[in-house]
Amino acid sequence: MKPKIAFLEFTSCEGCQLEVLNLTAEELLDLLGDVEIVNFREAITNRSDDYVIAFVEGSISRESEIPRLQKIREQAKIVVAIGACACIGGVNCLKNHMPMEQVLRIVYGDAAKYYDTIPARPINAVIPVDYYIRGCPPLTSEFLKVTKSLLLGKKPEIPAYPVCAECKMAGNICVFELGKTCLGPVTRAGCGAICVTGGRHCWGCRGLVDEPNINSEQEILKKYGLSTEQVVDKFKIYNSYSEVKK
Amino acid sequence: MKHDVTLTVDPKVTVKKTVVISKKSFKSVVENLIKNMEVVGVKAKQGKFVFDRISTFDELSMDYDVTVIPPTKYVLPAKETILKFSTGDSIKAEPILENTQRAIIGVHPYDIRAIELLDEVFMAANPDPNYIARRQNSIIIGMDCLHPSPKSFSPCMGTNVAENGFDLLLTDIGNRYVVVIGSNKGAEILEKYAQTTKPTSEDISKQKLLRDETLEKCKQKLNCPKERIPKLLEESYDDPFWEKRASTCLSCGSCVMVCPTCFCFDVQDDISLNMKNGERIRQWDGCMLVDFAKVATGENFRHDKTSRFHHRIFRKGKYILERYGKMGCVGCGRCANACLAEIASPVECFNALDESNRARQAAVRALREPILGSELYAPRAAELVRVDKLGPKEKVFEFKFKDGKELGQRPGQFVELSIFGIGEAPISVTSSPTRQGSFELAIRNVGSVTNTIHNMEKGAVVGIRGPFGNGFPVNAMTGKDILFIAGGIGLFPLRSLIQYVVDKRSSFGKVMVLFGATSPSVRMFVDELEAWKKRPDIEFHETVDRAEKDWTGNVGVITTLIPKVQFEPKKTVAVIVGPPIMYRFVINELKKRDMADENIVMSLERRMKCGVGKCGHCQINGVYVCQEGPVFTLAQLRSLREAV
Amino acid sequence: MTQIEVNVHYVTRIEGHGNLVLSAKDGKIEKLLWEVPESPRFFEAMLIGRHYDDVHHIASRICGICSIAHTTASIQATEAVFGIQPSEQTIILRKLLYDAEMLESHVLHTLFLAAPDFLGVDSVIPLASTHKDVVVLALRLKRLAYNLAEALAGRKTHPLSCQVGGFAKLPDLNELKALRKRLVDAYTDLDIVLGLFKTLKIPDFVRQTEYIALHDAKEYAFISGQIASSDAPAVSINDYLGVTNEFCVPQSSAKYTKNKRDAYMVGALARFNLNFKQLSPRAKKVAKELGISAPCYNPYMITVAQLIETYHVLDDSIGLIDQILQKGLKEEPNKVKAKAGRGVGAVEAPRGILFHEYTYDDKGLITKANCIIPTNQNHNNIQKDLEALVPKILDKPQEEIRLMMEMLVRAYDPCVSCSTHSLNVTFK
Repeated sequence: MKPKIAFLEFTSCEGCQLEVLNLTAEELLDLLGDVEIVNFREAITNRSDDYVIAFVEGSISRESEIPRLQKIREQAKIVVAIGACACIGGVNCLKNHMPMEQVLRIVYGDAAKYYDTIPARPINAVIPVDYYIRGCPPLTSEFLKVTKSLLLGKKPEIPAYPVCAECKMAGNICVFELGKTCLGPVTRAGCGAICVTGGRHCWGCRGLVDEPNINSEQEILKKYGLSTEQVVDKFKIYNSYSEVKK
Repeated sequence: MKHDVTLTVDPKVTVKKTVVISKKSFKSVVENLIKNMEVVGVKAKQGKFVFDRISTFDELSMDYDVTVIPPTKYVLPAKETILKFSTGDSIKAEPILENTQRAIIGVHPYDIRAIELLDEVFMAANPDPNYIARRQNSIIIGMDCLHPSPKSFSPCMGTNVAENGFDLLLTDIGNRYVVVIGSNKGAEILEKYAQTTKPTSEDISKQKLLRDETLEKCKQKLNCPKERIPKLLEESYDDPFWEKRASTCLSCGSCVMVCPTCFCFDVQDDISLNMKNGERIRQWDGCMLVDFAKVATGENFRHDKTSRFHHRIFRKGKYILERYGKMGCVGCGRCANACLAEIASPVECFNALDESNRARQAAVRALREPILGSELYAPRAAELVRVDKLGPKEKVFEFKFKDGKELGQRPGQFVELSIFGIGEAPISVTSSPTRQGSFELAIRNVGSVTNTIHNMEKGAVVGIRGPFGNGFPVNAMTGKDILFIAGGIGLFPLRSLIQYVVDKRSSFGKVMVLFGATSPSVRMFVDELEAWKKRPDIEFHETVDRAEKDWTGNVGVITTLIPKVQFEPKKTVAVIVGPPIMYRFVINELKKRDMADENIVMSLERRMKCGVGKCGHCQINGVYVCQEGPVFTLAQLRSLREAV
Repeated sequence: MTQIEVNVHYVTRIEGHGNLVLSAKDGKIEKLLWEVPESPRFFEAMLIGRHYDDVHHIASRICGICSIAHTTASIQATEAVFGIQPSEQTIILRKLLYDAEMLESHVLHTLFLAAPDFLGVDSVIPLASTHKDVVVLALRLKRLAYNLAEALAGRKTHPLSCQVGGFAKLPDLNELKALRKRLVDAYTDLDIVLGLFKTLKIPDFVRQTEYIALHDAKEYAFISGQIASSDAPAVSINDYLGVTNEFCVPQSSAKYTKNKRDAYMVGALARFNLNFKQLSPRAKKVAKELGISAPCYNPYMITVAQLIETYHVLDDSIGLIDQILQKGLKEEPNKVKAKAGRGVGAVEAPRGILFHEYTYDDKGLITKANCIIPTNQNHNNIQKDLEALVPKILDKPQEEIRLMMEMLVRAYDPCVSCSTHSLNVTFK
């Protein structure tokens, strides 16, 4: 019996689900040999709420999204948070630094009373989550790795160490040595350090490692020319939620 | 039995021949090699240097200071498939060996010395087929380093020169190269592609002059003779320096990833989506990464960054030297360049710890029977013939090898239980080798592999590697009185020895068995416990931490049983297995009864993966639990500080 | 008494969330709405105070499908403020990267999102048994676009290597050579799709509206040009506000737009109508084979226009790669100096014209941001199209009415979650 899976989204850009359609033909057809997709609004019309595994994308930024998410937790045996927005809050949390009434008023003026918004948050701030597929967007290889693991009943082997280790494995030159700054030393690896390989630096989209040495990272960034404000700013892009929590 | 490593040096070549070739000749050598095989060399990249594939001679940058990643990546790559497997009833695994011929151009002496160390690690005991295949297909063309990097300190470690370990070693003396021929292969290359001439005395003096000048350029100094480093570290085991230094560590792993003498690895299974086949892959890992020493139950034996930092420097300055006879740091300075917190440089650490002499510890290194052939990592198929429930999370599984052979274990050894797609887990063998035809594993469900086996039924087929470990010292125990002390699931490994002693009862003196469980409902192997209790030639005592309704026996921790037994300390060997907390208290009681450290035997747990002393996860100080353990005497443990 | 009730919550096979509501009694329409209840994202608020190096990275996250369009528009807006003129090499690379997105987006829409309706199935998955070749080739084309974007920018969704002033890493010429071969092979695949499309019955519905797109006399404009309209002379992109004229409506968290008429259309059909002359000869030929000529006023033909554009994009990308292979690539220094000021970047996202406007201070931090998304600009036109279409089909069975309404929405290839970003932050 193939387990039934669903792709569901909240406040998001839908890029994470779309990555599933970016699998190679063999991968997609093989995947369909292992699971039955019963809900994928973006690609399939027929919908069913009879699913066992829910892949949830997007963060929660409206009151009305909360009961909908709770219903998903009740229905699904396994909930997988996919993408930075669902896992750690993502870029949606950048707006959390302003009071919500101000944000609404600015956008909608007098019509603000018809709209609602709450500080954006990852889905595990509302429900318990079983697995995480991190990244903005996640790599298709990680999506497959986690999916295969949960089909096997195995804990996915996702690194607990920072991006630096993978950057070195990839043979990259450290961007600090090139005069740039980077959040790699406190960001969880698993992406193969593709942004550094692509010529840029790590923005931290996979979230912080479990015990990041933030003080040390801040000192290092300052040593390389960023002020404290600029340092905090760099973290804010993806890690606003953890910061706000702190 | 140690294998003689004679890959690059022909035993007939006793004195290395030195010749001179022109720059033009060197170009011809490189261009011809490019025509015939894969060639990698040092290239400039974004202001630094890296080893990478070259397709023309002009891509080379031979006068470099140091590369970011060492050339050891060609013999031990960041990621490689070691097995391809198919799931299903037969354990079919195909070792994947890389046989691409490859010339590596521009290897500095410190890196040549690092490769020599890796040769010792991977080719002497338990020869590693993947490493050997890559190594045998590598041609090493070394280059003297004339522009050392500011953080490099190879002269301090004596690694700025290399006498062996290369096919050719070049020194750029300006308008030409002085070349030392290190092997027949090297000689062959020069014969085919270069014009060689005899070096003049000026050539040789120029070579010496340049080497001396390079020494002068080296900025770093070691403040004590390098031979003192291991002692120095031992004296400084508890020095407050470690915590202070490691406080800014990001645990980012850069230091271990760029190090030429680091070789620890992790092994993971990647199954294909069709669930029918997959690959077993190994990739670089490092003791500085946070989860390196974490086991399935969640305990992390090096949880804090100070202990990890401590371990790495001890590895570099002491443990590797003691284990393999070669220093674990070649002074390349890559870690110092890579470390953003600027704490990684070993020479800075050694200098900071420069203290007075101490007595050097003898190397703790046991010889093992090498497992030959390419089957080192490939498991053998075993069929599950019986499953019985033992406790709420425990079951006992009986296996028979499909080829009918015996496991041939010694009591106290363990196997690696392999389930393709999930991974491997180390499980002690709970049955004695005297019970032939099958073997038993008692397993508690704590992680991915154990969870999967718990859902398997009779007829399922798994992979088994091993047996590994040293096992209990049955020979030393013959003729003595034996005091068994088993706490909880410590009974699992101990049962193999108890059965052995029972089956060879006349070879031993008095036999006493003490068993403690947390409560009556979690007593396991109950039938056997009752059988031992009934035997007139075994003194059996049992206790539970807390009683339940019908329990009429002893209540109290296991140490309360010890006063109940009479034994002569000089004639008795105590064998203890149980949860970590139990050991200290039991040992206290035994010491009170005048038992000597040599007669107190324990079995320890650590995270184990390869089982053959390679991947590095099970280290306690300088020993590998899968090799020198898991059974240790208290006397041995006195010198392993991390074991407490 | 015939009662027709159509309530589609949410429309499937579009990006983002939108509802269709129809209530009619005895041939009289009581309620007919295209609703956009999508959660507002507040991107302009999020961009305030961000450094220029991070702005395009964040703006990319407005949309997962057209992240390259947002990245390009964002970078161009910043470059307009700082007075940076990208090099010829950068422009070629940007156009090629853009072609990759067009290719992927159009393949995704025509074959995965729209085609199932025409073939009577609810998704592409059942087609894996009945039209396996088409599914495999659709995945192959998508993969080609993905790999092309990867070669140029490190990744297709939220590209990595784009930065203000150029690219952080240049593509490998050997990889481009290999991709060129696959692009040439793609014609065969596309011809099969063309063959399929020739057999489909496209609903015959016509409503003329205003058509707006970027226009450049020299080429089929994707990332440069002026704002052209079917109803007015072309204007500079800096004057976009005079064209868009956004306003709020209660049934939508996205704003609506209008210009010379009560609504206007952007997207593939608008481009086709305004820029037909600039299409490649092969694309023009395909249009003829499909029996469509400019101007065309049937919104169901947007999907067909996308197919025609896909041929053009293949031709264009092969031509660009040939230019790169001939000239080679060279590393260019990236010198960016921040300046205070205001600037606009405009591109043709697959779904239509997209505007990003930024105001920076002298430290290179954003003080004000505004984005007008193509789907924003189409919502009003969708509403008007529905108001014209539904009365004509009210006599049909309810299921068919529902399907035709959904197909109309799908034809626009809307990207709803982008369109509800929010607007016009006046912030100090």
